[in-house]
Amino acid sequence: MIMEETKKKILEYDALVVGGGIAGGESALNLANLGYQVLLVEKDLTIGGKMIMLSKVFPTLDCAACITTPKVSEIARHKNITILTGAEVKKINKLGEHRFEVDVLQKPRYVHVADCTGCQLCEDVCPVSVSDQYQYGMVGRKAAYIPFSIASPRAAAIDIENCTLCGACERACPTKCIDFTQTEEEYLVKARSVVVATGFNLFDPLKIPRYGYGRFKNIITSMQMERQLAPTRPFNTILRPGDGKLPDNIAYVLCTGSRDKSVGNPICSQVCCMYSIKQAQLLMGALPMADITIYYLHIRAFGKGFNEFYAQAQDMGVEFIKGKVGKISEKENGNLILRYEDIEAGVVKEAEHDMVVLSVGILPNQGIADVFENEKLELDPFNFVQQSDMLASPAKTSIDGVFVAGTASGPMDIPDSILSGGAASAETTSYLRRGTL
Amino acid sequence: MEIEKGKTAKYLKEKRPVPKEVTEQLKSFTKTKKAILNALKEVHKTIPELAMELNMPKEDVVYQLMSLVKYGQVAPDDIDDMDEYFYYKIKSNGKN
Repeated sequence: MIMEETKKKILEYDALVVGGGIAGGESALNLANLGYQVLLVEKDLTIGGKMIMLSKVFPTLDCAACITTPKVSEIARHKNITILTGAEVKKINKLGEHRFEVDVLQKPRYVHVADCTGCQLCEDVCPVSVSDQYQYGMVGRKAAYIPFSIASPRAAAIDIENCTLCGACERACPTKCIDFTQTEEEYLVKARSVVVATGFNLFDPLKIPRYGYGRFKNIITSMQMERQLAPTRPFNTILRPGDGKLPDNIAYVLCTGSRDKSVGNPICSQVCCMYSIKQAQLLMGALPMADITIYYLHIRAFGKGFNEFYAQAQDMGVEFIKGKVGKISEKENGNLILRYEDIEAGVVKEAEHDMVVLSVGILPNQGIADVFENEKLELDPFNFVQQSDMLASPAKTSIDGVFVAGTASGPMDIPDSILSGGAASAETTSYLRRGTL
Repeated sequence: MEIEKGKTAKYLKEKRPVPKEVTEQLKSFTKTKKAILNALKEVHKTIPELAMELNMPKEDVVYQLMSLVKYGQVAPDDIDDMDEYFYYKIKSNGKN
């Protein structure tokens, strides 16, 4: 619904949803099903957020992609939803009741998405290889690339920062959809309501140098292990990135960057215990001979079926050690020595493992508060979006007409994110109907 | 100026020269790719064997070799007798 073509394209929607992860997608879908016109703005090249990158979900061990893909596809095909990928909200001004003006900037993809068949011929001929951010740096990707096989839209993009402009992709493209003349698009969005679903960031373990992440190549993050366990994995099987060896003695270090005042994140990330237990179970399936040890402070198995899932891992042979890891060092063969406090025995011990997974915590995705110009979006003490009435109206924020969904308001698991997205859409509907009935 | 569809890279190249580090990175990848494919020409090899032959850090071999697996030029083969390292070979119908 383009009103006029000036420098900025002017668009009008009932709801602007900022963030196309599972919570934002749920909100958008519910609102669209009620007949509202929704604009979904996603900064990445694909919707689906972090969930679409996961292997399986706990405690059911259902395939994450099998749950996400149909939902993402429904969002993408919904007639009441417009999606802008590769786009960022730059400014939001509230002009009055049901009147928001939003500046959105969309970066050029250098591909006409509607014409791209996803044939990947451009990828085949592209001579460039750079680190693949969707595989968390464990493998390369081309400069002309489809983010991953179940990306939505499943269309190519050109990484212009790393492109040599050789033109091979254009020559190979059967539909001539690659277009290096594309430039940034600016939009002025007039929206009647806003849903903030900007998700979370993962803790960067480089901030704990004593764990050796980055220096010792056989230490990876839980998200890197998640990718290794996924069907669209970077390697042919689970391998040590340091030398390609099949690991047979893997350690998990829980609470890496969570419940740790020294790194500025004193709160529990709520999901690390359970995703580590899930990965341990999956690893025992993928590497039947491997020993898996989980170093934990407390196991927080609080949700439906979680404690049974924890007991199942114990029954499968996963070793749980109540211990705080102080330091990790590396042996010449790439194995790792974990120095830890055995909390139950009250002594300091050392143990050798051939691969270590750091179960990294959830941090706020800061920045969304800064785009609100004439009203203040309040944040909580941990920099997540403040829920102004958490018990009675959990999606409500400090700005009337702006609602929060999913992990933008704090750490939570997938079912809670979807519930939160549902709550945000219900409260947005209530706001949109205010004064119209 | 009318820009012909399918030949727009040339247009952008005139407006925005390619940074030197991008071309250097391409040269480096091409050199490594050739070295790995040459080393695998006659016989399949494990990552430590390739690292020793190419005098490259093992982690770099993992990254580059796995990229070549992804690009369809190399394929994993059998595992060694100790069940520790896979052998890798040039893909028989591999793309170049």
